[in-house]
Amino acid sequence: MDDREIYAAAVRAAESEQAMAIATVVRVKGSTPRGPGSKMLIGADGRQLGTIGGGCADAEVLEVTGEVIETGVPRLVRVELTDDYLSWSPAVCGGVMEVFVEPLQARRRSPAGS
Amino acid sequence: MSGSQADVVSAAEAARHALAALEGGTPVALVTVVRAPVDDAVGRRLVVSAEEVRGALGSAELDERAVEYAREALAARSCGTRELELSGGSWTLYVEPQHAVPELLIVGAGHIGQALSRFAALLGFRVTILDDRPEFASHERFPEATRLLVVSYEDPFRDVVVGPDTCVVLVTRGHKYDYDCILQLLSMEAPPAYLGMIGSRRRVRATFEALVRDGVDRERLGPVHAPIGLDIGAETPEEIALAIAAELVAVRRGGSGGRLSERERVLDRVAPARGTEQRGE
Repeated sequence: MDDREIYAAAVRAAESEQAMAIATVVRVKGSTPRGPGSKMLIGADGRQLGTIGGGCADAEVLEVTGEVIETGVPRLVRVELTDDYLSWSPAVCGGVMEVFVEPLQARRRSPAGS
Repeated sequence: MSGSQADVVSAAEAARHALAALEGGTPVALVTVVRAPVDDAVGRRLVVSAEEVRGALGSAELDERAVEYAREALAARSCGTRELELSGGSWTLYVEPQHAVPELLIVGAGHIGQALSRFAALLGFRVTILDDRPEFASHERFPEATRLLVVSYEDPFRDVVVGPDTCVVLVTRGHKYDYDCILQLLSMEAPPAYLGMIGSRRRVRATFEALVRDGVDRERLGPVHAPIGLDIGAETPEEIALAIAAELVAVRRGGSGGRLSERERVLDRVAPARGTEQRGE
């Protein structure tokens, strides 16, 4: 899955006015499955294209995408992959990643502002 | 809310610019506000090329710094966050340049070329197939290729642009063709990022000797990856294609091509279980 496919799908989704969110790894610390620039496109139904670092990291991002699509407000999500090894959690890479999750189309804010 | 609606670059519009750049258009850097003193500013974005700036982040000072970061990222070809302190508070910008994805020219549409085309497409290369036989360089055989060119080996690169975003793999059916291709590639202004040639040690040596005899500097052949590919003991055309694909990734990412298990030797750092060490002493 390269960025071309993700961007092409994003462009198609925007053209057909499908609500989607795009997640991008913007910063990492320590050992993480993928680095800055890794991307994932998520539909309102939770379907994803691409991965920001495997099932566990993806799942944390998927938790907020519904809200991001619904409100149109982007979020910076901190994904910690520092679980203790003996927990048998999949999140044992040892690092922390910051993932920016934003709607494909920003919801137009009301003229009154917030 | 400062900035008019026209200044807002949505993620979808940014994706359009990025996609055009990846497919060989003008390189752009996307600058996105990911942390800001005011929530409203998060998600604002600039699309910056060498010539043009689209969008607005909210203040002239911020825009100016962001454009500077964007141009640096375009030159360095690396993405990441930048922190900055302005009178209003602290900001985090995420800067990501988008350049054309590398193009792989596969010269020779045989079995290895066919398997390599699939691997390369999976790895995100734009694949161009060149051969002098139209029945080989066909869509049926290369459904994933971006371009198929039927060429004469006397001037195979006439219709392609070779440069720092191009990798070239020579898997033709004859060393005469390899010879012609290398001669042409070495005479170009900008060499490809990667040039590899198939062949046994004997065939490679004969080709190199012919080139040196005909006046090519021996040093200029140094960067030619021949025999091509990483040493994985490949035998079938598919395995050879995998060895070539692995070498392309190693060159692109700066990998050594060895085994991680041998490099890291993690077991050496694991202490033996208590009671088993230095028994009897």
